[in-house]
Amino acid sequence: MHWRGQRSFAVENSWLLQSCFVSLIAVLFTVLAETKALAEALVGETRTYDALSRPETGTEALKQTYKRPGLIPFPADNPYTPKKAALGKKLYFDPRLSSSGTQSCASCHSPAFGWGDGLSIAVGDKMEKLARRSPTIVNAAWGSIFMWDGRVPDLEEQALGPIMSASEMNMPIDALLVRLSSIPGYRSLFAEAFPEYGVSVQAIKQALATYQRTIVSGWAPFDAWIEGDEMAIPEEAKRGFVVFNTKAKCSSCHAGWNFTDDSFHDIGLPSPDMGRGKFLPTIVKMQHAFKTPGLREITSRAPYMHDGSIDTLSKVVEHYDDGGINRESRSDLIGPLGLTEAEKSDLVAFLKSLSGEETTAIVPELPR
Amino acid sequence: MRLIAYATIAVAAGLLCGAAAPSKMIYQKGRTFSEKLVQLKAGEPLTFVNNDSVPHNIYSLSDGNEFDLGSQKPGMITDVTFMQPGDVDVLCAIHPRMKMSVKVVD
Repeated sequence: MHWRGQRSFAVENSWLLQSCFVSLIAVLFTVLAETKALAEALVGETRTYDALSRPETGTEALKQTYKRPGLIPFPADNPYTPKKAALGKKLYFDPRLSSSGTQSCASCHSPAFGWGDGLSIAVGDKMEKLARRSPTIVNAAWGSIFMWDGRVPDLEEQALGPIMSASEMNMPIDALLVRLSSIPGYRSLFAEAFPEYGVSVQAIKQALATYQRTIVSGWAPFDAWIEGDEMAIPEEAKRGFVVFNTKAKCSSCHAGWNFTDDSFHDIGLPSPDMGRGKFLPTIVKMQHAFKTPGLREITSRAPYMHDGSIDTLSKVVEHYDDGGINRESRSDLIGPLGLTEAEKSDLVAFLKSLSGEETTAIVPELPR
Repeated sequence: MRLIAYATIAVAAGLLCGAAAPSKMIYQKGRTFSEKLVQLKAGEPLTFVNNDSVPHNIYSLSDGNEFDLGSQKPGMITDVTFMQPGDVDVLCAIHPRMKMSVKVVD
C-alpha cells in the first residue's frame, strides 16, 4: 500500500508538473498576445451568422420603401426662415461671390442641368478644369456627408468650400465680407435675416445652406406610381424597378426615395482618383471609392459618374453589367451581373421615370 | 490533486483561446448599429454581426484600439477585443451614417 501510495503521489506529482508547465506556456502566450495588442484592437476570425433574414423582394413591399417624405429636414442649429432662404437664393445666384465676379454657385450647380453643370469635369477660376464632375445639389437637405469624397460633414461647411477654394471661386472670405458689406441691398437683407450677425461668415454659411435645402426634386411619374397610379409609368419601367431592386442590386446603394444611402464604393471605373481613400488610406475598400449619388432628375444630369466619363444612362447600365475593373478595392456589390438586353432597357426606362416635370427656376434680382 | 490539474489546464486553455462568457453583440441591420454606446472591460470581446442585406466595413481609428474588419458580408460575425481603456469611435467606412461609441474601462 505504502509503495502504491508513493507511486500514486509520484504520478499525481508528474501530472501537476505537466499541468503547471502547460499553464506557464499558456500564460506566456497570453502575455505575448496582449503585449502585441497594446497597439490596436484584436480582431477574431470571421464566422457565419445563422439567423440572417432575407430582404423583402415583393414589389408592393419594396414600393413602400420609396415613399417621398412630407417635410424638408432643417437642422436645429440652422432652422428655416423665409428671409434666410431668400437671402441664400440671392447669394447662390450672385457671381460677385467669386473673385473674378463671373462665377456663382449656380454656374456649376445650375437648375438648367438638374442643378449640375452638364460638363464631364467642372470648370473653376480662370476656366481651369477641376478634378471631378459638379454634383447636383438636388435633395441636399437629406445628405449626411458632402462632396464626392465625403470630406465635408454638413451643408453649412460645404457652402464656404467652393467660394474659398483657390481653384474654384477663389474668393478669400475677408474680401467677400468687404465686398458684400459694400452693397447696401445686402447689408439690409443680412440685417433682416440675421439680426444678431449681420454680414458675417456665419450668416453666409447658414443662408446658402438654408436655400440649398429648399431645392427638392420634382414630383416624378415614379412618385405617382408609388402612390398607386398604375398608369403613371410604362410597364417596362415597372419591370426595371424590380430588376433595380433584385438582380442588378442597384438599391443596395441607391436606396430609398432619394436613391442613395450616402455610401462610398469603388465601382470599378478606370479613374486614378483615390476618392475617399485620400482620407482613409488604410482601408482597402475606400480606395477609388466615391459617394453614391442620388438618382432623382437623372435624365437632366448627364454625363454621369464622379469623372463624367459615361455620357448616357444606357452606357451606365452597361458599366454595371460589366462590373468594371476587378481590383481589391472594388465593392463586393460590383461585378458582372449577366443582365439580358431586355433587363437593361427596362432599367433605363425605370431611371427615366425618376425625373420630375420640367420646372422653371426664377433667377432673383440681385442687390445693388 | 488531479482535479486541480485539470482545472488549471482548463483555465490556461481558456486564457489561451479567449473562451469566456458570451460577448456583447452589435447588429447592423438596416445600415444602423443596434447600440449607440456600449461599455466594455479592456480585453472583453465585442461581436459585430452583419445581419443586414449589404456588406459593411467596420473600423476605428481611435488611438490604441485601431481595427479594420474590411468588407464584412451579410451573414458574417467577427469579434473585436479592445485592449486599451478609453473612448473608441466605431464607424462603417462604407456607410458614414453608421456611428457608435465603445467605452473601454480597466
